[in-house]
Amino acid sequence: MLELRNLSKTYGKHAALRDVTLGAPEGEVFGLLGPNGAGKTTLLRIIATLLQPSAGTAVLAGHDVGREPEAVRRAIGVVNGGMGLPARLTGREVLRSFAGLYGLTRTQADARIAELDAALDLGRTLDTRAGEYSTGMKQKVVIARAVIHDPQVLILDEAASGLDIFARRTLLDFVAAARQPGKLTLYSTHVMSEAEEVCDRVAILHEGALVTVGTIPEILAQTGERNLERAFFALVRGEGVRHAS
Amino acid sequence: MRPDYIWRVASRDLLSTLRDRRTLTSTILIPLLLIPLFTLGLPLLLGKFIGGQAQERQQVGVVGTLPESLRAALTRDEKTPDGTVTRAGVRLVPVTDPKAAVQSGDVDAALRAPSPLPRRAGDGTGTLEVYAKLGNLRAQTGAFAKVQSTVEAYNRELAVQRLGTLGLGAQTLTPVTLAPIDASPEQERRSGQLAFLIPLLMLNFILTGAMATALDATAGEKERGTLESLLVSPVRRSEVVAGKLLATTVTALTTALFSVLGFLLSGVVMRAVLARGDTPAELTQAFGGQLTLTPGSALALLGTVVSAALLISAVLIALSIYARSYKEAQTYVTPLSLLIVFPAVMLQFSDFLTLSSGIYALPLFGSMVAILDTVRGNLSTGHALTAIAANLIGALLVGLLALRSFGREEVIFRN
Repeated sequence: MLELRNLSKTYGKHAALRDVTLGAPEGEVFGLLGPNGAGKTTLLRIIATLLQPSAGTAVLAGHDVGREPEAVRRAIGVVNGGMGLPARLTGREVLRSFAGLYGLTRTQADARIAELDAALDLGRTLDTRAGEYSTGMKQKVVIARAVIHDPQVLILDEAASGLDIFARRTLLDFVAAARQPGKLTLYSTHVMSEAEEVCDRVAILHEGALVTVGTIPEILAQTGERNLERAFFALVRGEGVRHAS
Repeated sequence: MRPDYIWRVASRDLLSTLRDRRTLTSTILIPLLLIPLFTLGLPLLLGKFIGGQAQERQQVGVVGTLPESLRAALTRDEKTPDGTVTRAGVRLVPVTDPKAAVQSGDVDAALRAPSPLPRRAGDGTGTLEVYAKLGNLRAQTGAFAKVQSTVEAYNRELAVQRLGTLGLGAQTLTPVTLAPIDASPEQERRSGQLAFLIPLLMLNFILTGAMATALDATAGEKERGTLESLLVSPVRRSEVVAGKLLATTVTALTTALFSVLGFLLSGVVMRAVLARGDTPAELTQAFGGQLTLTPGSALALLGTVVSAALLISAVLIALSIYARSYKEAQTYVTPLSLLIVFPAVMLQFSDFLTLSSGIYALPLFGSMVAILDTVRGNLSTGHALTAIAANLIGALLVGLLALRSFGREEVIFRN
């Protein structure tokens, strides 16, 4: 479903991403882990067609990200922690507007909104203007907007940041439920416990380079640590690092 | 580009604009109120002020003595046959230092005759010094004006008396009477001497109306984090730019429409005011209060205004997409109003300039000249088309620049 080959991105002399090669099949939640500045957001923005790679290729759902950006954008839904909503529009208006951009009719859009209402417990949020939302309410509508067209690939970049415990739980349950055949969820976070809960496999990035990739038990076995956070520190300190290729 | 996608982007921005009270105020209420206020309120206020000066009995200081008949003329009220005072005379008070008396505000004007003034024609000549704050409109239209007209009448009276002794009539003084006849076209006459302010007002309203939507749809979207969600949807960048340009232009045109409605409203109220007869028609005309448009000139005005709105919207979008926040965008676009004000001020000297056809090819300035020509009723089709084409070409070029900015990572993620 996702194939990255020798992907690099530089800003002047700064290398934000260095020669990353990895793949993620359908039907799983794939985690991208690393501290702030590791290159996770840059990688996901390249996949989402927002940034052009300096080198390498990315193929998503059978479409080359550089050559077929429109087809890629039809296949993805994106949520990041910094995404907001137009303050003067209600949740329903936002969702209908985006449904239209993906070619859904008004009836199809309303049916899909009802599904998402049940899945994300949108409730009164739908008919309240976004300017009055709490962080949790906002993030639920942002997620609903990203999946209004039932995308093949869902990209979540630090999507749980700033959420309270209830909103975070709703998000993690939603991600777990998104693990379906024919679909891929890319879940980027710097919170290792979130990755342990929802990800099938993870890639650890550090300073723009891929440190390792594997299932969580594989990474724990590789480092001899008892949790992902300790394993991460062991890997980035060079202890037991097995650079992925 | 796909029109339905463009409209979806635009309608989202328009809905957001429609729900913003501040924007609605600047888009609808201000032009609707400000233009009648300018074209009606100002003349009415000036009329009341000048009228008030005529009715007021100003205090005028006198050093020494004045001829009795001149004193009487200065203090005499002018009345209609039914006894209504149309112009009050002044009150004369003795002063010693005329300049100090005026400066201290004790009197509105002061008179001093260094040598005795003639009491009859043939008594020789004299000088009457009039002390007043001559840069002050109140003094000019009040005490000074009354003294000036009274002395002129006094001179005439003495001259007529003298001519009478020689067996000549008053007409001897004016063997040639000047009869000015305004040969300017009716439309130009009705547009008023201050018609040059109309392009300024219209383009300024377009800028003000467009500003809120343009900033909110670009820098505001970046700041809120909503632009990224739009850019990862299947909408093409060109459609995003076109949609935002459409939304901004629609808002700008709405403001322009309400400014035209403001003019129409002024016209309706003007007729009622003139019918009452308490405001001089010349005064209201000077402020464009009697402006009327023919269907042809209305069409030319529409074309010019629409193309100017497109250009202004494109410039606003191209500039504000660079900003990190709404506030930063405001600092970028605020100086734009000077680009409208300075050329518009130049328009008041347009009568002294030989305007070549090339001037109409200057984006925005050409529109201002074309709007001025339109309200004066002397716009040629060629000039109108040139001004419109210049704006459209400008809008296209700036729009392409905006499109390029929307495709640049360092612009989109500049925060």
